[in-house]
This record gives sequence, C-alpha cells and structure tokens, in this order.
Amino acid sequence: MKRFKLSALVIISIMSAGLLSACNQSTADTSADNDSSAVTGKLVLAGSSTVAPLAQEIGQRFEQEHPNVRVDVQTGGSSRGISDARSGLADIGMASRALKEDERDLTAHTIALDGICVILHADNPVESLSDDQVRAIYRGQLTNWNEVGGQDAPITVVNKAEGRSTLELFLHYYGMESTEVEASVVIGDNEQGIKTVSTNPASIGYVSIGAAEFAAEDGVSIKLLPMDGVAPTTQNVRNGSFPLSRPLNLITQGDVDGLSRTFIDYAQSSEVNDLITGLYFVPTQ
Amino acid sequence: MLEGQVTIASIHERPRAGLLDFLTALGGWTASLTVAGAIGWILFDVFAQGLSNLDWRFLIEPVQRSGRAGGIGPLIVSTGLILLVCLAASVPIGLLSAILLAEFSAQGNRFVAWVRRALDVLAGVPSIVFGLFGNALFCIYLGMGFSILSGGLTLACMVLPLFIRSAEEGFRSVPGEYRLAGFALGMSRARLLFRIQLPEAAPGLAVGLILSVGRALAETAALIFTSGYVTRMPSSLADSGRSLSVHIYDLAMNVPGGGPNAYKTALVLVVLLVFINFVTTWIAKHGLHKRILSL
Repeated sequence: MKRFKLSALVIISIMSAGLLSACNQSTADTSADNDSSAVTGKLVLAGSSTVAPLAQEIGQRFEQEHPNVRVDVQTGGSSRGISDARSGLADIGMASRALKEDERDLTAHTIALDGICVILHADNPVESLSDDQVRAIYRGQLTNWNEVGGQDAPITVVNKAEGRSTLELFLHYYGMESTEVEASVVIGDNEQGIKTVSTNPASIGYVSIGAAEFAAEDGVSIKLLPMDGVAPTTQNVRNGSFPLSRPLNLITQGDVDGLSRTFIDYAQSSEVNDLITGLYFVPTQ
Repeated sequence: MLEGQVTIASIHERPRAGLLDFLTALGGWTASLTVAGAIGWILFDVFAQGLSNLDWRFLIEPVQRSGRAGGIGPLIVSTGLILLVCLAASVPIGLLSAILLAEFSAQGNRFVAWVRRALDVLAGVPSIVFGLFGNALFCIYLGMGFSILSGGLTLACMVLPLFIRSAEEGFRSVPGEYRLAGFALGMSRARLLFRIQLPEAAPGLAVGLILSVGRALAETAALIFTSGYVTRMPSSLADSGRSLSVHIYDLAMNVPGGGPNAYKTALVLVVLLVFINFVTTWIAKHGLHKRILSL
C-alpha cells in the first residue's frame, strides 16, 4: 500500500511535468505560425563559451532587425557545439577552433579571429621566451625563472582545463600532448587565467590576446610576450602575421539555407564589426 | 610522602590546565572570528564593489552588450520563475516524503531506510552531475529543450534531499503526545497533520526551505545545461532564461570587462537571498504557528 502510494505520486508528478511542457510548446508553436514577415522562426546556437557572448550580441541585433526571429544562444564548449550541430540539437554550433579531420562532414563559417599569447606577471623581468623554452616550462623540464634570465623563483605553470579549445590550439602549436604538461594550476576561462597570473608574480599562462590586451590596458598586472618576434596585438592577428591564432566559427551540417543562412551572412558582414572588437576579438574583414 | 606527591602534582597541573583553557578559548575565538570575518569580508566586498553607481534602472532594463551594459531585468524574472518551478515541484514531493519518513522511521521499516540512504547519496552528488542528468532527461528525453521548466525541475531534484532531511527533522520534533492527544479527541489523521503537526514542524520546514532556496539561487553548473544562457525576457516556462548566478559566472569568466556588472548582479542576488530568508522565517513564525491557536 505504502509502495503503491509513493509510485503513484512519482507517476503523477512526471505526468504533470510532461503536460505542462506540452502546453507550453504548443503555445510557442502557434505564436511562431502567426508571424507574417519574410524572415521568421527560431534559431538555436550552442557551443564554445568564447563565442557565446559574441553570438548572443549578434543575435540580439539580428532580432532587432527581424522582429519575428528568435535567436537562442546556449553555451557548453566547442566540443558540445560540434556534437550539437551534428545531432541537430542546435541549428548552428559554435567552436573557437578550426574543424578537425574527423569533422569534415560539417561546414565552418568563420565570423571572427582570436589570437592566443603567453602572459607573465608584469613584475617578471623576462621579456621573451623561445618556443623551446615555453615547451620546456610546460613539460616541467624548466622549473625556475633564473634558468631563463629571471629571478630565483619556482615557475607556476597555469594550464587550461581539458576540452578547452585554447588548450588544444596551444598544444597543437607547440607540438605537445596534454599528458606531457606538468601544470601547477588548471583554469577554465580567459578571465580566470588573467586573474591567476596577475596575482602570482612567478606564474606563466596563455589566454586570448584580445582579453589580455584589454586587461593590460586596464591596469591588471600582466604582460603579453611576443612570439617569433611578432608583437601580440589584435592588428597582427588580423593581418595574419601572429603565429598563434584561431578562428571563431559557426558550424552547420553542410551548406544551409533559409534562416540559418541569413543569420550566418549577417554574422559575417561588417555590420557586426563593432560587436566583435567590443569583445576584443578581431573581425575577418 | 604521599601527601607531598599530590601537592607537587596539583601545583604542576594547575598552570597547565590554565594554559589549556586559555589556548582553547583563544582557538575558539580565532576560529569564530575567522568565520565571521570571512562572511563580513565577502559582504563588504560585494557591497563596496556593487553599490558604486548602482541605480534602480539596472533592476529592470534588458541585458545589453553581453551584460556589460543595460540591466538584469529579464534575468530577475527568469530566476524567479526557475525558483517557483523548483519549489512547486520539490515542496509537495518533499513534504509527503518527509511525512512518510518521519511517521514510519521508528518502526525500522526497510523501505524507509532504503529511501533515506538514497537521499544521502543524492545529497552528495555534485551539481554538474544534476545538470547533465537534467539536460539528458528534461531537455532531450522529455523534449522540454533549454527551458525554465527544465531548469526548475533539475533544481528540484537537486534540493529534494536537502529539503526532505530538514522537513523530516521538523516533523520528528513534534512531541508524540500531541498525536495521542489529537487521536483521543477524535481528530482525523488529515486534520491532525494540517492543524497540529504541520504548524508545529514549521520552523524545521522553514530551515529546509531556506537551505533549498539558497542552494537553488546559488546554482550555476546545473542551470547552464538546463535553463540555459538566453537573456531575453521569458514569455513562457518553455523559454530558455539565464539565472542571476549563471550571469555572474559568465560576466566574471567569459566577458572581458564584465567585472563591475558581475558585482552589481552579485549584490542583487545576496539582497534577494537575505530578503527570502527573512520572509520565510517570518511566515514560519507568525503565519503557520497561529493555526494551532485558532484551532
């Protein structure tokens, strides 16, 4: 009897939840059907947390120009963007990296560029590091700043968490495997990386140039290291001379038309350049 | 000789005991000051950084430029709706489960023991796991998508163990004599529950509710994958809506220059939490307790 009551309760609650959602979905559908203008419907974007704020702002402006369109942006990482675009859970995926070999079934549309640079604390006397030195530091073979011309202090290696495209790009550029990295601190996002390095004078990390440039201009105690003698600036990312950069992509299943096409064309147009530079990324044109 | 030994021992012991007392007291004071200091520091930091150029329009305006401009109006609405869905699902289920657990636990019921163990395990599950579970069950399998409903129901699963445990304590704190007296007066079981046991257990229920609301409002990981990231004003429970905590996380971590508005949002969240605590405690004290007298 007791058992029966409890299971009845569970079934009723699940059923009422299902009913509620069904009701809400039907109202959403009819409101979409009633729209009469040329471009209507709902777009779902999902993926990279780096691209998400940009896509969200582009979506907001797109909604203003097409009042019968709704652009919903969800986050969760580049890998999620790829898988949601492939499974159809999202109309458009977002990834802050180029497509890999096994993702050639999908199509990437670049909307902006982002450069990655190595950052140190502003008080660190080291002015540049060679690729070999960076590699040795991240492999744990170089453990003290005095080995590369700095003060006598053990190096705090700040690394990105697994699954972050910044990590993948960094490892790819330096030709390392993620298992080789001997990290002291593992962080998630750019801002967290900047905060970690700016509060530890003996640390080394790597983040988006746009975010680092903004933080450095804002007085945060970090410094951006040049790479192969090329200064880490957004200008050098745009003109292609900075070696470590990545594309911010919208991902679709093959070529698309309709609403998705209109949105991607809009996101690639110069009409959104101010939004791109506002988030310290680099427009493609 | 014996007497002498005792005297020496007691002489040696007294200052030691005094030192021990002193150290214990010092430790106790240091520990409690550290706790109070940490809370004070957090509140001071949030208020100092959040109050600078905060004006009321921040509370109603839509989000602009990823949160660096505009306000948090739609997010307050979304957060409120997520919380309502969460409470609407968790309070009835939680109350009924707590009553069952409190009523039948004394008899050493094996089913009750099993439920209790399941709740303890559930209480220790990290919130990101609830997020992924909610995403798989509500968003994908039940087809609710990224929506306030998915987020609220996921939070309900998350706070249920917490709420049930405190509510159960509340019901168990009702003296057994009340029950016997009630039956002796010929009260029905339902009447006894609603008129005596529920009002008497109200303080415990309030604690459970406050803990649940606090955990729900603070939740980020479980909501990113369920109620989502959309900053538009929600028009129904089927819409995706970003909660205040997700907004703080995103501003602090993903948006360069989002710091000042992250602090303002944090201030709003803290004030909201304190307000809800106050109201819940007040209702538990004055609202439910009076029902016994008006019997």
